[in-house]
Amino acid sequence: MPTVVLLDSSLSMTRPVSVEGSEEFQRKNLAVHGMTMLFEHMATNYRLEFTSLVAFSSLWELLVPFSRDYNTLQVVLVTDGALGIGRGSLRHSLQTVKQRVDDKKFPLPFPFPSKLYVMCIANAEELQATDSMDNLEQLINLNGGEGQIYTMEGPLCLKSVQSMFGKLIDQAYSPFHAVLRCGNLTSDVQVFPRPEPVTIDEEVDPIPKTVQTDLEIVGFIEIGDISSPPVLSRHLVLPIAVSKEGDEIGTGATDDTEEETSTNQMAGKSPNFCVLLHGSLKVEGMVALVQLGPDWFGMLYSQADSKKKSNLMMSLFDPGSEPLPWLGRMSQLGPASDAAENPYGEDDSKSPFPIQPKHKRSYAQNVTVWIKASGLQTDVQKILRNAKKLPEKTQTFYKELNRLRKAALAFGFWELLKSVAELLERECTLLPDSAHPDAAFQLSHAAQQLKLASSGDSKYAAFEQNITPMLTDFSGGGGADRI
Amino acid sequence: MFSVSHKTAFVVDHCPYMAESCRQLIECDMLTKSRSQGVIPLAPVSKSLWTCAIECSMEYCRILFDVYPTWKLVNYIVSDSEVHILNSWKQEDQNTHELMAALAAVGPPNPRQDPECCSVLHGLVAAVESLCKITEYQHESRTTLMDTADRVANRGRIICLTNAKSDTHVRMLEDCVLETIQEQNKRAAGSDRLMPIQQCELVLVHIYPQGEETLVSDRQKKELSSMLSSEVHSVRAGRYLASKLNVLVQQHFDLASTTITNIPMKEEQHANTSANYDVELLHHRDAHMEFIKSGDLHMAGSTSRDSGLKETVTLKWCTPRTNSVELHYCTGAYRISPVDVNSRPSSCLTNFLLNGRSVLLEQPRKSGSKVISHMLSSHGGEIFLHVLNSTRSTLEDPPSISEGCGGRVTDYRITDFGEFMRENRLTPFPDSMIDAAGRTPVERAKSQLERYTRYWPMIISQTTIFNMQAVVPLANLIVKDTLTDEDVLTCQKTVYNLVDMERKSDPLPISTVGSRGKGPKRDEQYRIMWNELETLVKAHVGTSERHQRVLECISACRSKPPEEEERKKRGRKREDKEDKTEKNGKDTEEKGWTTDSERLKGVMEREKDEQSECEIIKDSPDSPEPLNKKPRLATEEQQPPEKSKGLALPSASEGVVERNHHI
Repeated sequence: MPTVVLLDSSLSMTRPVSVEGSEEFQRKNLAVHGMTMLFEHMATNYRLEFTSLVAFSSLWELLVPFSRDYNTLQVVLVTDGALGIGRGSLRHSLQTVKQRVDDKKFPLPFPFPSKLYVMCIANAEELQATDSMDNLEQLINLNGGEGQIYTMEGPLCLKSVQSMFGKLIDQAYSPFHAVLRCGNLTSDVQVFPRPEPVTIDEEVDPIPKTVQTDLEIVGFIEIGDISSPPVLSRHLVLPIAVSKEGDEIGTGATDDTEEETSTNQMAGKSPNFCVLLHGSLKVEGMVALVQLGPDWFGMLYSQADSKKKSNLMMSLFDPGSEPLPWLGRMSQLGPASDAAENPYGEDDSKSPFPIQPKHKRSYAQNVTVWIKASGLQTDVQKILRNAKKLPEKTQTFYKELNRLRKAALAFGFWELLKSVAELLERECTLLPDSAHPDAAFQLSHAAQQLKLASSGDSKYAAFEQNITPMLTDFSGGGGADRI
Repeated sequence: MFSVSHKTAFVVDHCPYMAESCRQLIECDMLTKSRSQGVIPLAPVSKSLWTCAIECSMEYCRILFDVYPTWKLVNYIVSDSEVHILNSWKQEDQNTHELMAALAAVGPPNPRQDPECCSVLHGLVAAVESLCKITEYQHESRTTLMDTADRVANRGRIICLTNAKSDTHVRMLEDCVLETIQEQNKRAAGSDRLMPIQQCELVLVHIYPQGEETLVSDRQKKELSSMLSSEVHSVRAGRYLASKLNVLVQQHFDLASTTITNIPMKEEQHANTSANYDVELLHHRDAHMEFIKSGDLHMAGSTSRDSGLKETVTLKWCTPRTNSVELHYCTGAYRISPVDVNSRPSSCLTNFLLNGRSVLLEQPRKSGSKVISHMLSSHGGEIFLHVLNSTRSTLEDPPSISEGCGGRVTDYRITDFGEFMRENRLTPFPDSMIDAAGRTPVERAKSQLERYTRYWPMIISQTTIFNMQAVVPLANLIVKDTLTDEDVLTCQKTVYNLVDMERKSDPLPISTVGSRGKGPKRDEQYRIMWNELETLVKAHVGTSERHQRVLECISACRSKPPEEEERKKRGRKREDKEDKTEKNGKDTEEKGWTTDSERLKGVMEREKDEQSECEIIKDSPDSPEPLNKKPRLATEEQQPPEKSKGLALPSASEGVVERNHHI
């Protein structure tokens, strides 16, 4: 999540901090010290984070802008908690929050998912002595409880400001390191941005799920088969070099100090599984399914940012045993070589995916809906059209007739059966002399059967039963002695 | 998970008065008029209140089952002088075909039945009883949760389609439901198969014929008790009822509407002309989440539909490109149901999608900029509305993978790993498929990956055998879980073939990267190759006795005493370098990828001590220690100790020389 750092630069921030026998600091100096620590941490361990710095008092000034817009944000507010007085002060704004008109809404809650961290260059007692703490808490509440207030412990000094920012770093900016594993092939990786815990069903299963640090590949699937699946989030998977002591050397990105450069060059030259995997995924047009935890999966694939640059990316599926209906249950995916017959075909012409659901959806099974009169009229017309082309269209005629019959029986619409029977009888009388003799037999047979069904007599009105074409001398069925 | 919409009980009144006509006439004899003069057209037909109730409730179920094929269950009950329960909460009963068959068996209400003994009350009581019955999903959740089983809630909704006499009559029906819930909850408390109802929503729909005054007034949702809320809708039969139930299904299941506009379709009559059509789809409302969050809902072209009650978001059809397979960044996928399922535009669109094509959808914006926000695509006969991410990504412009660790290495075995991925593709197995060891298919997939990667050098210059066509049959077989006698024979043939190649002194694809001159001599090349082959096979020797036989075959075939003598001589000359080799060997082993390969390590553990000194033969000083050196130990095992040392040294020390030279 990109970060906006808001620095309170009002006059109260220049209040000196009294520390005996040492250099005199202002609260502003402490704030700057903490922020420097935060930015340095990001520069080394959280390199791809986008940050912006805004200084404000009663006015505000954007010191370092974002170059783009985002849909989520983390906001770090650095202040001494002196809320000011009168119009425009936080105290006044919060008191009048309900009286605001639509076009001048209070900025909180933000119109995007966000976390608000308030870093107080003050200790808790000081803030509680006035209503400052209450007001700051109200800010967090307005943001839907998303965020936290940090205060300094002990005397206001460099050490305690460090410890406060240290807590923020642990909470919000600790890098996510993991081991990517494909059988015995492994690579140490950083996953960026770090995957946040996910809660799926709060009622039955309220415990948030976290991505485990062992990312185990379970197998591979074609991009066409996985077919643009919905994902919770996307993350870069960056291989990292881990030295013997277990310290991270870095992700090998450019712009390092000289010292780091040589180490990174070394890291660049030793083969890494991520690079191999990325290359083959890209060439083959496949994804690797990766297990993120119990009953939780994701996929690894090559993501091209531009023509030249591409990267190994990981997307997380919804936690659960069946995140993608067209793959079925994840635990039931096994090696294709275990199947009795190669599900991909000997020449790769087949695929076991997508999985077909047991029942077809309404739009795939020619359902009958007569809610609009036109639906009913169309169905009757279809029957009449085919009736005029008997006996060539005998099969279609009976298919449409039976479809209408079934629906009419289910809807208890016997009146319709009688009407259609009459229509067919009339059609029979209107047959031209040139008509095939079979046409008349089929029409009167069909009309009679519909009438019988409309009586509700279970012998003729069974749902699963169909009206079958009458066997005549002319229908070529060999039943010469029938009629 | 177990919200009110988990269980829906439909109660449809089947009493004699429901046989009454809805008084909306439908002409079915329209097109024949023009053709035949003198023919008296047939009288129009009209549906009964019952038929209207059934077809609208079926439409409600059709949309529901399209959008939620699982988890949202319907129990369909018909009430007259008795109760007809047409299906159960079981998932297999949840489809319109079964319900239609059951409805056909019930037939329309009998107008001659005694109205005194008929009532919708029987059905309402049955609905409450049914809501107490545990569903498969509730059962499964309770079983898996065990001690927290009480988190599994029991809520439900009763939709009652009836013709009520008056507001008092409605009140009586509500009171009856409330009483029954209280009674049934007492019963349910003492049963394993029943659950007390925590929350029930009663939706009473009073249906009356066209042209009549309603005797029942509409009433908004009202809490009758902590467990029961009730609302009353008084609706004329026919299309009014249809649109009411369409609105209800959207409210009840959090649906929203999207209209796909500008769909080009060929005209039926004139095949060479095309016109643009609109198709309205229903789906979960989260598919509009981005619009709602950004406050764009109105900007996105939402308009009121004819019902005047619900809004639809308009998205524009983008003519699809050729069938390119692309992985879109998609944040959600929601099943759809067409509002007008068998209209021509709807079926054209759905058939197009069912045939495997995907359509991108564009969000109309005031500014005129083009934003692709959604995609329609079918998977396994189900159509989904995919939500594509249209906000800026936080992952824009990341460093390329070639700038990171391992990014400068250029001879990865990309093609071989591609082949490996194809061999390790996944396929679905039936739910009962668990093997003899009790492993699920996904566990078997992981164990296959483990076997296939026991020895898998990542770069071309690290391996000889995987660059040799002649080794392929053996390499493909040895990783398998079980070998047949025939497989063993194939492996042995591979080995004999290699022996033959060695006898003929065929050249081997040994990497000469980083080495000076022509690289190792021919016999040295073969030794490297045999060692690597042994490493591969040794990694699998524990799998079965047949795997063991393959190793034995290699060991038996590869011994070449005269050549050893020669190497022994060369070895002595370089003995002084031995210490260095040993150090480097250990060092590199730690860093190499083999560190993580526990299995391989295990295989090697026994020989580790003698091994370390000969562990590095570098093909390239830049590449990390190749594994193919380890096989040498195997040789040593067979040889007397002094000999083996001599044997191992030449190439090992060569490696060191190269390395030092380079640094």
